[in-house]
Amino acid sequence: MSLIECVNLTREYRKGENIIRPLDGLDLEIEAGDFLALMGPSGSGKTTLLNLIAGIDSPTSGSLVIGGVDISSLSKRRLAAWRSENIGYVFQLYNLVPVLTAFENVELPLLLQKLSTKERRARVGEALEMVGIADRHNHYPRQLSGGQEQRVAIARAIVTDPAILVADEPTGDLDKPSAKSVMLLLQRLNADLNKTIIMVTHDPHTTEFAKHTLHLEKGRLLEQAGVAESGVGEGAGR
Amino acid sequence: MSVLRFIPLVLKQVTRHRVRTLLTLFGIAIAMFLFTSVQAMQSGVRVATQATADDTTLVVYRKDRYCPATSELPQDYQRRIEQIKGVERAIPVKVVVSNCRTSLDVVTFRGVPKESFLADRSGQFTIVSGSVEDWMRRTDASLVGETLAKRRGLSPGMTFDAAGITAYVAGVLRSDNPQDHNVAYTSLEFVQLAGHDDLGIVTQFNVKVAGASQLESVAEQIDDVFRTAQEPTATFPEKAFVGRIADDVIELVGFAGWLGMGALVAVLALIANAIVLSVQSRISEHAVLQTLGFSSAAVAALIIAEGVVIALAGGAVGAVAAVAVAEVGSFALSVEGQSIPITAGPGLIATGLLVCGGLGVLAGLVPAVQASRREIASCFRAV
Repeated sequence: MSLIECVNLTREYRKGENIIRPLDGLDLEIEAGDFLALMGPSGSGKTTLLNLIAGIDSPTSGSLVIGGVDISSLSKRRLAAWRSENIGYVFQLYNLVPVLTAFENVELPLLLQKLSTKERRARVGEALEMVGIADRHNHYPRQLSGGQEQRVAIARAIVTDPAILVADEPTGDLDKPSAKSVMLLLQRLNADLNKTIIMVTHDPHTTEFAKHTLHLEKGRLLEQAGVAESGVGEGAGR
Repeated sequence: MSVLRFIPLVLKQVTRHRVRTLLTLFGIAIAMFLFTSVQAMQSGVRVATQATADDTTLVVYRKDRYCPATSELPQDYQRRIEQIKGVERAIPVKVVVSNCRTSLDVVTFRGVPKESFLADRSGQFTIVSGSVEDWMRRTDASLVGETLAKRRGLSPGMTFDAAGITAYVAGVLRSDNPQDHNVAYTSLEFVQLAGHDDLGIVTQFNVKVAGASQLESVAEQIDDVFRTAQEPTATFPEKAFVGRIADDVIELVGFAGWLGMGALVAVLALIANAIVLSVQSRISEHAVLQTLGFSSAAVAALIIAEGVVIALAGGAVGAVAAVAVAEVGSFALSVEGQSIPITAGPGLIATGLLVCGGLGVLAGLVPAVQASRREIASCFRAV
């Protein structure tokens, strides 16, 4: 059984008189431990799909089952709790809280869990260590470079040990060396911790780090390119 | 889930948005200073004018007179008043004030027969410095109310001038009766002779009756006795008398109550403004919190908590400052020799904090609910 199953997934928005449908009857299965890159032109529905999988948006119709849970049927409160346990979200613009230090930003999701202060600190320390930014734990976001901010954001995403990481253009705002470093980190999290990663990207270079790449257009899947199967992405970027 | 673990997060948000917090806090503090000051005045009016069950004192004044300078009664009324059934004793009092108008710094001399005064009031005040013996010994000696002593910097052994009278300070007295706070008690003859030859003339009689239930009937009987006299009387329970004399001041204090309400509206507007601006500038931040798993209710609670913390901090500064100023200044609104103390204490600080906390919740409610109801994904699209 796949970790993520989307069946006839549709998302519509009303914009004035018009109805916009960024996702239009999409069928998709993602296996646990996959590293999937989603590509496509602007408006193709990549981010909408990512947001649906992350549980921060709800489908208009169709079903979305993740880990055996139909998340489209969860109440807002239960969905929030589900996100807290299952999803780590990495944003293009990092979205760190500016008045909190790197340590405090990473600690945020742990405030929702029943952990002692000591346990929380240990978990934050491990996460910062894992992304290689432990020495900057007392720095505020404004005191960090883009690459460092993204590492903190990734630490925040993994600190609760979620099964799924979703990343919306995680290198979109980074220079090439920083982008490569971040992609290597994501690849390592996928390989070493078996995190299922779904990443939206416009950059073909970053897809080389993924196991699979899917192309979306007008809310539908165009193709399912088995990068690993074709051998192009096997070990790419390592 | 323990909400305590979120308190540091709220405090960080408040303390690390320094400019926003300080500006809001400053505004709230000023408004709460005003509110607490008004409350202190209203509290003083209540203390000075609200009768209690154990009030047994009547004030006999010259009918149709409202000023000590014009209320002149023959001192020999004392004997006739004391003959009325239910009257325990009548004490003639000559009142001289340094300023007949309403002022924050009026000195009121009350000339009284010393022995009768001590017999009547023993146990109702304490001497905090100096001695009664010294007061009894010297003709020009005065027992000064604690508020007046503090305001004028008076202590035993000093002399002071007011209303054309030079008096020696024999002691400082502390009393729960607001009319004792701002006065200098001297001998009756000393005040009668000071400046004018008013021997045999007094301003009022303070009449002690046997029980509170007899106040009205005794008052009627006193006025009946002197109805046809050359100097007719008007008799009131002591606190009603203060209310009558200080009517204008009480009205002004009542109007000041509206200023206090205005100050509260200002506090509400300030907090609401700060929260609305904060929420608008942090749309994506709140969406991030929800993405991390914070529920809508948790985000709303964090927003409201920020408002409450700022409100409480500003309220504390304003209320404590108002109480401190009232305490240090020892102000009293005096009119025609009657004193309305400005009464401020820890109770007012607690009231101020309670009000501010409530306003913080009220001000944060709408923006918090709006912020928590936004669709998370649309918040990121909007940025």
